[in-house]
Amino acid sequence: MFIVKYIKDVLHGVKSLWTGMKITGGYALRHHKEKITQQYPDNKDTLFLPERFRGEVVMPHDEHNEHACTGCTACELACPNATIKIVTRFDIQPDGKKKKAIDKFVYHLELCTFCNLCIEACPTNAIKMAQTFEHSVTDRTELTKILNLPGSKIREGI
Amino acid sequence: MLIEFAIVGVCIIGLFAMLGLVLIMMERKVSARMQLRLGPNRVGPGGMFQTTADTLKLIVKEGMTPDGADKFLFNVAPFIVMIVAMVIMAPLMFAKGLQIWDVNIGILFVAAVSSVSVIGVLMAGWASNNKYSLLGAMRSGAQIVSYELSAGFAILVIVILTGDLKISSIVDGQVNGWWIFKGHLPVWIAFVIFMIAVTAETNRAPFDLAEAESELTAGFHTEYSGMKFALFFLAEYANIFVVCAIGATLFLGGWQPLHFGTGTKFNEIMDYIPSSVWFMGKTFFLIFVIMWFRWTFPRLRIDQLLNLEWKYLLPISMFNILLATLMAIMGWHF
Amino acid sequence: MTASQIIFYMLSAFILGTAILSVTTNKIFRSAIWLLFSLIGIAGLYFWLQVEFIAAVQIVVYVGGIVVLIIFSIFLTQQAGKEMSRPPVLRSVASILAVLFGFALTYFLIYKNDFKAGDRPFDWSVNKIGTQMLETGDNGYVLPFEAVTFLLLAAMVGCIVIAIKTPAPSEPAKGGTIDTQGSASLERRSEIEIAEQ
Repeated sequence: MFIVKYIKDVLHGVKSLWTGMKITGGYALRHHKEKITQQYPDNKDTLFLPERFRGEVVMPHDEHNEHACTGCTACELACPNATIKIVTRFDIQPDGKKKKAIDKFVYHLELCTFCNLCIEACPTNAIKMAQTFEHSVTDRTELTKILNLPGSKIREGI
Repeated sequence: MLIEFAIVGVCIIGLFAMLGLVLIMMERKVSARMQLRLGPNRVGPGGMFQTTADTLKLIVKEGMTPDGADKFLFNVAPFIVMIVAMVIMAPLMFAKGLQIWDVNIGILFVAAVSSVSVIGVLMAGWASNNKYSLLGAMRSGAQIVSYELSAGFAILVIVILTGDLKISSIVDGQVNGWWIFKGHLPVWIAFVIFMIAVTAETNRAPFDLAEAESELTAGFHTEYSGMKFALFFLAEYANIFVVCAIGATLFLGGWQPLHFGTGTKFNEIMDYIPSSVWFMGKTFFLIFVIMWFRWTFPRLRIDQLLNLEWKYLLPISMFNILLATLMAIMGWHF
Repeated sequence: MTASQIIFYMLSAFILGTAILSVTTNKIFRSAIWLLFSLIGIAGLYFWLQVEFIAAVQIVVYVGGIVVLIIFSIFLTQQAGKEMSRPPVLRSVASILAVLFGFALTYFLIYKNDFKAGDRPFDWSVNKIGTQMLETGDNGYVLPFEAVTFLLLAAMVGCIVIAIKTPAPSEPAKGGTIDTQGSASLERRSEIEIAEQ
């Protein structure tokens, strides 16, 4: 029946509008508990950044100056705008075999869009997103970073 | 006589400037709360003087007139919008006995004069010689002309129940209870329709197609800058105040305090609150509701907008008029 | 001269001045705006006469309704922004003569006939107007009122018939959910569609 459908339509519309208004109204009431604005330069000491905030790509090293990067270049291939460039070299193992390892993990911060695709592509979880965000520098070349520390090597067993 | 005119004029202009500052501040704070932000908080305590600073900036900014514009109409348009917003304030009853002009067609006067402001918008859109402005003005025109109908019907419900157009007698008629309580179903429907229709008439989100930023840059005031833009901005907020004041007068009893029953202690306590506080409180509550709409709902498309009016609001309000008339005749209201 | 008379002459000068500007300007949009001011002036004259209801109706109908429609139709015409050429001299002379003739006729009528102010009290309250409008007895206007409503109904039906979309033969009609709203919506929708193009 047309008229019943019409009335149902109207009531459904009113109900759904009220649902939306309840959400924003609730935010307005609970504002003091939930506000998310960080007054950044004033609260540098107590600044809270969410866990999943993407500041820049870093490569964690353990206490023996070892990382988990095998130099497979999966991240380089995954990157949509050529932010990562991996330079590899071949190490001579004690048993005489050659093994591929990274020489330089070059990361162009100025090209990065923080899309997280490289981190998802990495098979060994060698890289991750850090929460640093104060990236401004006076010279552009400073934005090109080498992520592996000098003298570092790949961790055993990876 | 002349001195009285001068005093009233100064008061209205002062009220206008204050309204602009307060309402814009309120809007920014309300939106901040609804989006879990802080809002302006740098200028003055709690950011209270942010709008004052903004106004100062607009005053010292150069008001440019585009070369291809129709200069006369371009410069006149903001003043028309502004004057209309000021004239509508005349019959409003701000407190017990505080009214500039108790004209005996009060509510009709408001409805009539507010329809002139669309001319200012159309003028601004045309005279700017800009496609965005023209499209914005056309949309605004279509929108205001259509939503005026259902706003008018919603007002008519109260006029039928009161039996008078005079603002003071509409308020006096609610001494034993506001219409929203006395008039039950038809008045509730009328109130909802009124709120939706005036939101559309003041060109506010979710009905702000006239200045839809994503498609029309700024709609009819794309080419305006400096003080002329400030006049449009101020008139928008003054219009919001006026329509909410009308809503408070019609449905929430104007300056009448909240009463339950007769002669109870509760009523006496309510009577201690001054009438101006009641009026302003109700008005600002309705303004808050309209702001609530704005920060909740996404913008409608033009066909959705016209569908809402012509397929839903108008038939419902026509039916509602019949219902209200029946109720007034049979005396079914309290 | 009393203040009331001064206001009357000012209003009249405003109405006549804007009316003359409205017919002499070369830009069609400005012409509509001057017409608007002239109509507002007439509403002001009603306010001066203290018949507020008529004044408000004047604003609603003429300013808010008709002039807005005129402006919309100007927006939709081509070359609306161009300056129009001056009319030929002969046409100007003829129109001036027509104006003078009309003026002379009015003046003659007023001068020859002795119009007296009525002695009956002038009752124009809204309630009175409303009851008079629907009264069937003496001085009742129910017949003209009904005639006008029929005229408007006919106009609306005509609008719907002109604007209605005939459903394509292949797809079945959607159970009367569309195409039966008010005429004005269809009119306005088609206007807007044109404008958006």
